[in-house]
Amino acid sequence: MGKLVLYGVEASPPVRACKLTLDALGLQYEYKLVNLLAGEQMNKEYLLKNPQHTVPMLEDDGKCIWDSHAIMAYLVRKYGKNDELYPKDYHKRAMVDQRLHFESGVLFQGCVRNIAFPVFKHNQTEVPRTKIDAIYEVYDFLESFLGIKQTYLCGNNLTIADYSMVSSVSSLLGLAAIEQQRYPKLSAWLDRMEKLPDYQSNNGNGAQMLIDMLSAKITKIV
Amino acid sequence: MEKLSLYGFDPSPPVRPVKLALAALQVPYDFIEVNVIKREQLSEEYLKKNPQHTVPMLEDGEACIWDSHAIMAYLVSKYGKDDSLYPKDPLQRAIVDQRLYFESGVVYADAIRRTNTYVFTTKVLPKERLEAIVEVYNLMESFLMNHDYIAGDHLTIADFSLISSISSLVAYVKIDSSKWKKLSAWIKRMEKLPYYSKNAIGAEQFIALVKNTNFTVEA
Repeated sequence: MGKLVLYGVEASPPVRACKLTLDALGLQYEYKLVNLLAGEQMNKEYLLKNPQHTVPMLEDDGKCIWDSHAIMAYLVRKYGKNDELYPKDYHKRAMVDQRLHFESGVLFQGCVRNIAFPVFKHNQTEVPRTKIDAIYEVYDFLESFLGIKQTYLCGNNLTIADYSMVSSVSSLLGLAAIEQQRYPKLSAWLDRMEKLPDYQSNNGNGAQMLIDMLSAKITKIV
Repeated sequence: MEKLSLYGFDPSPPVRPVKLALAALQVPYDFIEVNVIKREQLSEEYLKKNPQHTVPMLEDGEACIWDSHAIMAYLVSKYGKDDSLYPKDPLQRAIVDQRLYFESGVVYADAIRRTNTYVFTTKVLPKERLEAIVEVYNLMESFLMNHDYIAGDHLTIADFSLISSISSLVAYVKIDSSKWKKLSAWIKRMEKLPYYSKNAIGAEQFIALVKNTNFTVEA
């Protein structure tokens, strides 16, 4: 097996989704820091590997792959001992794929990036209330995706959809708390995810970092 | 084989890639219109099948599948004579997947959906929205730098996904062929697909809907 290198930064939710997956698969990898705030993703060397200049990026024996969801699917397919984390059954896989694209679009772009980008890139200190409402809309959807007595997002088995979703959800708790009364299933799911082995080092610490970074810059919800 | 049902609305960008995929796979289906302008996706019946109340949605026997990208991957895997539209090789698939997530994130959720929200409600578009669309075109140009198709040398479901979005985004920012050479060539290549009308008709409808808003761009 060739060498695995993960490029990223702790605060980044999609990077943490990959860390959760790598750990679940028992894979060894080298971690290389890409300081986004310092613009290191725009270095010529990085751009040659990833013209979209995003993190995470995975290098597997010299081959470069990016987008967290693509990376996670690749890792399970190539290195998983079984297909539990990303089922091969077409119907089951379609549900995981739908949750992953929901995370990619509605949650990450729609909520995380839509809030973080103006704050960090343009130093905006006020966040429109509509952007906070959008987070609660995501929570409403997630509550509906979690069926009655369903343990994880796609059924009773953990999948990469759970890793993807928790990386972003955990990062937004400072802006939109998940009240147990309002979101009983989502709240229980989050508790369950937080109890996963090595959750803190793979996701929890980084999520708190992002929460703190946002909290330090945002002065008002308008 | 029980006939498939595709629920959707032609102007909607995510619906059209599924129509292209079904045509490429030559799989018959019933098209059931769900007019999202009239909020038909919020009916109790539809919500039971798709709690995210989006189009497209595919019904295959008992299975209700939504999200255009998930639907296309499902269709190729289940009905494809081979894997060319969605390669099984892990590395090749990872490239297609990255293009698909680029579409669901940067292109659809940000460039299309956020822009549509301004245009169809306040009718005043902040300039940065046009910049976001230009950035999409720039990234597409870089993805096409060394290949004829968006994920490599062959047509894949990523091309279907992105041609629908790009042919819709031109409602906001025209594609100057001298500025975006590769992107323009790729569009022409896609327009030559024998079943391209499955996208073209809906794209024209979307462009007309945008034009009818008479939106203005913030100075």
